[in-house]
Amino acid sequence: MSDTSLASQSGTALYLAIQRKRNIGVRSLFLVVLAFLVAYGVLFPGLFTATGFAKFTQSWFPLALVAMAQAILMLTGGISLAIGALVSLGAVVAATTMTGPLGVTGGTLLVCVVGLGIGAATGLIVVKLRLPAIVVTLAGSFIIAGAALLVLPRPGGAIPDWLSNSLAGNTPAAFGVLVVIVLAWKLYLATPLGLSLYAAGEHPVGAYRSGVPVDAARIAAYAISGLLCTGAGLFVAAQTGSGDPIIGNSFTLNSIAAAVLGGIGFLGGQGTMRGALAGSLLLSLMISVMFFLGFTPVAQYVAQGLIIIGAVALPQFRMRAK
Amino acid sequence: MSAPILAARGVSKGFFGNPVLRSVSIELMPGRVHALLGENGAGKSTLINLLSGALRPDSGTIEIDGQAVGHHSPSEARRAGIAVVQQELSLTSSLSIAENIGLGAYPRRHGLVDYGALAARAGAACDLVGLHEPLATPVGDLSLGRRQMVEIAKALYRKPRVLILDEPTSSLSATETRILTGLLERLRAEGVAILYISHRLEEVMRLCQHVTVLKDGTCTADRSLEGVNAAGLVRLMVGRDPGDLFPHWTSTRTADTAIAISGFSAGAMQDVALDIKAGEVLGIGGLVGQGQEDLLLGLYGAIPAKVASATVNGAPGLPANVPDANRRGLAYVPADRKREGLHLIHPIITNLMLPAFARMPALKLRSRSAERETAMRLATQFAIKGDLGRAAQALSGGNQQKVALAKWMPHDPSVLLLNDPTRGVDVETKREIYNMLSGFAASGKAVILLSSDTPELVHLCDRVAVVREGKIATVLDHGELSEEAIVAAAMGAEREREAA
Repeated sequence: MSDTSLASQSGTALYLAIQRKRNIGVRSLFLVVLAFLVAYGVLFPGLFTATGFAKFTQSWFPLALVAMAQAILMLTGGISLAIGALVSLGAVVAATTMTGPLGVTGGTLLVCVVGLGIGAATGLIVVKLRLPAIVVTLAGSFIIAGAALLVLPRPGGAIPDWLSNSLAGNTPAAFGVLVVIVLAWKLYLATPLGLSLYAAGEHPVGAYRSGVPVDAARIAAYAISGLLCTGAGLFVAAQTGSGDPIIGNSFTLNSIAAAVLGGIGFLGGQGTMRGALAGSLLLSLMISVMFFLGFTPVAQYVAQGLIIIGAVALPQFRMRAK
Repeated sequence: MSAPILAARGVSKGFFGNPVLRSVSIELMPGRVHALLGENGAGKSTLINLLSGALRPDSGTIEIDGQAVGHHSPSEARRAGIAVVQQELSLTSSLSIAENIGLGAYPRRHGLVDYGALAARAGAACDLVGLHEPLATPVGDLSLGRRQMVEIAKALYRKPRVLILDEPTSSLSATETRILTGLLERLRAEGVAILYISHRLEEVMRLCQHVTVLKDGTCTADRSLEGVNAAGLVRLMVGRDPGDLFPHWTSTRTADTAIAISGFSAGAMQDVALDIKAGEVLGIGGLVGQGQEDLLLGLYGAIPAKVASATVNGAPGLPANVPDANRRGLAYVPADRKREGLHLIHPIITNLMLPAFARMPALKLRSRSAERETAMRLATQFAIKGDLGRAAQALSGGNQQKVALAKWMPHDPSVLLLNDPTRGVDVETKREIYNMLSGFAASGKAVILLSSDTPELVHLCDRVAVVREGKIATVLDHGELSEEAIVAAAMGAEREREAA
């Protein structure tokens, strides 16, 4: 008809334009992250050395993974309270298998299978039985934490030194892995199933009527989320060189904090993964900056809480002012 | 005569033991616009959901090209070329226009969404409906009317052989409606079978060739529209002679001022002056979303409002908040009865008593028997059907609207603020609401009626204030009222302008 320029728009141009539009919501968050990054660099100039960068990204890495794991579920309109327990389980599975007959490859594979399997099972229960995610994952967290304690009743096990050194030594390997994971996520979002995540989360009935496999999209999200959690557990085990059945506990609430900081909404379909990643980075930076400023741990927690409330409130106020 | 593309044969469907459809048959022919009419709760939506595979019939069959289909699902229906434009929009606000249009049917390349093909096909569909926003625009940034156009583009994207539209024009501007009408004519000429549901009879008369009428879940008419007029259609729907839809108009306007405002600003409304007399029905007209709702909400104290001078029921100043407005005799009935007007999961009786709770002493024990008595009286007065202990969501749309209105009556409000009270309401309930409104005005009270239904404004109001771009463009007296006059004022000088 009259406007043929729309029809002849190239695929890449459309894809990039959509990505630019998605950036609008997280622009101010990126600025805040940048400000904290600068502050951190001033307080701790070592950040810009190879070792400093490696250490900082390593401290961020597991939080980034669990923030993604939580964000995927929140995008489907769900939530998980089993994130921490899954991280612990990933850590103990890695620490008990890698020096055994399975070896590093077998151990890694097992960690992945456990994460995918438990995630998919949780997803099946939530989606097919139509039970509230918060209750299912709360119950799941007890079961998974129990399983972790069964595998390894007290801290122990071991991760081969070479693996610990290459993942959590003086190399930026963790950052490299994160880049790969983010690229894999972008690829997933470019598939019909991945993109339907948003529709399935915001408007399940409408998505179903449009022919979207809503149940499959949601179950897949739970499986991916589980995989990210046990993967984070493997990394944590590599950092400490051994397994600890309760090491993941703090990740549950921190994953929610990071996702919320990153602008992920609780109602499903709101927010972006880049936002959740920025949120996790901000949380990591906040903890480090406050540490360098000499905040006591109590003051750190209080400040962290206030910043999270502020981060959620600011965009709301801005929207109301419009 | 060619064979039907999609047909339902003797389908029945019930929910929780209530039969909603009883042995209904319908045949959708290629190249024909088929109207589906019926009052709210007649079973129209259920029939659409059966045809589109969102629901399965309890008995009876759905046939595509003469073949009975066993497991009819939405994706199955899509493959067979059936597309539905639902009344409630099914769009995802965080995804772009293009991604919404292709949702559930993305073109793929190597397992990934093929954005190139998507841009071309979604762009073509947008062109058909005159949607010229960039394809990357998130749907959340669009107005309701534009979203409806995206919804229609989404249906066209699927290259349907059968297109089902459920009240597609309820949120469209005049220009958008014209585009849609032209589009449907073209699709019909191309041999698409179209099922068209609307409460706007003149649209049905203009567009459709054949009509199926549902009443209480059974089919009461399946015939050509040739030689049928609007009154005949209403007769088919209510099953008897409707008489005049509107009550006979007599002015009951008095000289006493109910509300007088000047220099009033709230939301999109700027610097408004109005004077409403007791006994008057004042209409508020205009295109969708020009600020009309803000006028009502500002008067009701529900959104911040500034005013140069105001008198409300004899006292100076606007209500500061909703309880204050209620105390001063104002009552508001919102347009979105499912979300704002009612608490759907709570019993009808609780909904009816809710405003009363606000007035009771906070710590006094409730008297269940007195509540029951009041609620029964309201239910009888407003002819609300159904057991008062059941959840409000079990009621049909019309009955829900009556509950939303009735709940204010125990407080004897002196000014009623009504926000589109008859949208999506069946003809019978419309008539009841109209009668109630004129009775209310006749008892010396004032009604402010915001409506998107122009005939309603013409036949019910003493005066109509037409709002355009946050200002009152003109106030028409009853003698000057006509649908043309209201539409002309709403569109302003530039007739082609679209609704914001």
